[in-house]
Amino acid sequence: MSDDRSSLDPRAWLLWAIAAGLVPLVGRNPFALAATLLAVVAVRVAWVPPGSGVYSGVGLVRLAAAFAAVGVVFNALTVHAGDRVIARVPDGWPVVGGVVTVNAVAYGVVSGAALMILVLIGTTMSVVLDLASLLRLVPGRLAPVAVAGSVAVAFLPQTATALREIREAQAARGHRPRGARDLVPLLVPLLTGGLERAVTTAEALEARGFGAAVAGGRTAPWRGPVAALGLAASVSGVFSAITGHATLGLVALGGGVGLLVGSVRDPGGRTIARRTRYRTPRWSARETALALALAVFAALVLTVRAVDPGAVGWEPYPSLTVPRVSLPLLAATFLLLAPVPLAPPARVAR
Amino acid sequence: MTATLPAGEITLRDVTYRYPDRPEPVLRRVEWTVGEGEFVVVAGPSGSGKSTLLRCLNGLVPQFAGGRFGGQVLVGGDDTRSSATHVLGRRVGFVFQDPEAQLVTGRVEDEIAFGLEQRGVPAPTMRKRVEEMLDLLGIAALRDRDPATLSGGERQRVAVAAALAVQPAILVLDEPTSQLDPWGAEDVLAALTRLNDDLGLTVVLAEHRLERVVAHADRLRVLAADGPPLDGPPREILARMEPGALPPLAALGRGLGWAVLPLSIKEGRACVRADRRPVPPAPTDAPPPGGAPSVALHGVTVGYGRRPVLRGLDFEARPGELVALMGRNGSGKTTLLRAVIGFHRPEPGRISVLGRDTARLHPADLARDVGYVPQQPGTMLFAETLRQELAFTLKHHGGRGRDPEAVLRQLGLVHAADRNPRDLSGGERERAALAAVLVGAPRVLLLDEPTRGMDYARKRELGEVLTALRQDGVTILMATHDVELVARIATRVVLLGNGGVVADGGPRAILSDSLAFSTQINKLYGGRYLTESDVVGG
Repeated sequence: MSDDRSSLDPRAWLLWAIAAGLVPLVGRNPFALAATLLAVVAVRVAWVPPGSGVYSGVGLVRLAAAFAAVGVVFNALTVHAGDRVIARVPDGWPVVGGVVTVNAVAYGVVSGAALMILVLIGTTMSVVLDLASLLRLVPGRLAPVAVAGSVAVAFLPQTATALREIREAQAARGHRPRGARDLVPLLVPLLTGGLERAVTTAEALEARGFGAAVAGGRTAPWRGPVAALGLAASVSGVFSAITGHATLGLVALGGGVGLLVGSVRDPGGRTIARRTRYRTPRWSARETALALALAVFAALVLTVRAVDPGAVGWEPYPSLTVPRVSLPLLAATFLLLAPVPLAPPARVAR
Repeated sequence: MTATLPAGEITLRDVTYRYPDRPEPVLRRVEWTVGEGEFVVVAGPSGSGKSTLLRCLNGLVPQFAGGRFGGQVLVGGDDTRSSATHVLGRRVGFVFQDPEAQLVTGRVEDEIAFGLEQRGVPAPTMRKRVEEMLDLLGIAALRDRDPATLSGGERQRVAVAAALAVQPAILVLDEPTSQLDPWGAEDVLAALTRLNDDLGLTVVLAEHRLERVVAHADRLRVLAADGPPLDGPPREILARMEPGALPPLAALGRGLGWAVLPLSIKEGRACVRADRRPVPPAPTDAPPPGGAPSVALHGVTVGYGRRPVLRGLDFEARPGELVALMGRNGSGKTTLLRAVIGFHRPEPGRISVLGRDTARLHPADLARDVGYVPQQPGTMLFAETLRQELAFTLKHHGGRGRDPEAVLRQLGLVHAADRNPRDLSGGERERAALAAVLVGAPRVLLLDEPTRGMDYARKRELGEVLTALRQDGVTILMATHDVELVARIATRVVLLGNGGVVADGGPRAILSDSLAFSTQINKLYGGRYLTESDVVGG
């Protein structure tokens, strides 16, 4: 059975998520972040159905305010640099002692915004993709990693529900948290209950054969360590690229992906530990068009960043400067809207 | 060692198992054989090791749980110590108590295909199997639905279909009906009986509510917390069980001295026809107590987001009443309780508790007079000992309340006073949560499915506690699917449906005139008879 056309191939959604996360990961330019935020919100509006249980409308504004507040407080109290001093915390106070600057507050706001964009991308993906379609993308050799991932994905919304239930249950006993010590009655059931749920989900996956080797599939002892090495190299590559070591990062990422592919295929090209698919993802012309648009966007962002770092990034230290506006970058952001015209008609009409 | 055994046969040889964090073994020298095609029900008190025994059958114990394991479990000839659980999964389908924990996809069809995909079943075969399972379990109309949007019974049938799609020879189910209303439970059990009859599937099912399953079973195994289990044909085992642990039909047969204990309503009717002794007149419902209502809801509409669950509901309860809130899954029982404690604000409508409008109060303010035990008692318990848990409640009541030792004695928890509440068994945890609430001496008590995971003896004890509280003037609202318990202890039954009250009256008026919500005894004798004591006397 092929996947229905009311959705995109999960690989296309993964590419969109990577592209949309590029600017918030590599830069703090407020204009570039604002453009990315608008693009992500537009895709959500087009694709996320009403009542799907994720933030929308007022909830999104609250979420934005919460992230901005956290970013501001954290940055303002821990970064004591900049030329616009607004207050001073006694130097003797550990970590927070020193000057509080407008520079740090401003950088906190944009950092909070970047974090919120990443969360929005994640929640959008959690609605447009179901867990099974993601698990199907994981090679059989890496099944244990996927089990851990699935438990983690399932953990977040369940934890939110559990926290609400615990707060209510303790309120019904007369408990109103006022300080850190009062959080114990909330945190202990949350942690222990979360662990119990995670174990049950993992047990169920194991009992249902997740990670089972296919009869006739060949195994070799070197494949596990090679897969682990590949995964580590890939993660290191992404981290290096984000932190400014683009060349080293790309080399590590390429090598890591190569090792991962090698660990799941034999020299004859046949996939080891093969699983089959009930709902075959169909990579059609529209997914190709989407991938091309996103590739062009990524290339433009990286090129603009290499040529003109101030177009993607912003450095308010030591003196507060007005962020740069890069028209090519803002124009390129339109490419992130590529999933919008591909949304099912009912959703577009809404 | 691998022996040649039929694919659906299970053999346990001298199995002893102890969890890593427990001093005593849960299973001791268990010898057990389940023949191919048998339908076996495993029963026993809370903490007797039912779930552990079931988990041995697909290797989750000890492979997943750790601990010390001795002996041997052979499943169709495969030794569970040398075959991984996901490999044993080809032979043993497993359905967990909580369907939410085992469903991982966003569509019913995908859920059924999940196990097949993991085993590399070719796509054409997979399509055929998915279609077969949809028809077999009667869920074809749900094929494109998100499992999260299904009712409990529908979800559990999807879980059974997913387990069966890989064509296991054995299906193991851990209390699959414990969260279901009577219709949902009947759906699941009817499907299992059909699979056992038509396909020769070996079924091993753990269940507390024997009245639901014993008629379907070929064999009954009753575990004991201490001592050897009872194992054999259900009729023989029921004849040897403690009277307090019997389902109502068997208790009736024992009480009336019938030579053959009935297992089903049909058999019971035959026994009643053969027994020509006169039956005492059926008792009548006690008149409702008077006085001002302690809980009053007027025109209350509440729900989740834009979806109202209760619409314009009117309801009152008075001191000394024990009101059972009944209705199918999703009918609004839990929502009503949550509205009373103040977790839902009515829009529109008015809720008053002990004369106070709850709209102006925080739930923590109401807690001085209103006790609430949620469906998941684990959400309340956090302290290192049960004694500290009770002290926490008293602290938030300004020290006013009942003597903690008396509460522990009343609920049979003295032995657990210094244990961590989270280490207790399911039934004990439920009572621990109740103790943590009762110590505050609430005048209104709200209970959400308080008998989940409780055996007959614990339910009887809970019934006695609640009756004593009611007689002391406490107003008790209890959401439950447990018809037999309601028949014994409730003074009033409110049937919810379609956002409102469908029926309201004494238990004999409501439960004697219902297809789904009637007791086994009422199905036999009709009229206003509800419990075996109505017929036997005493």
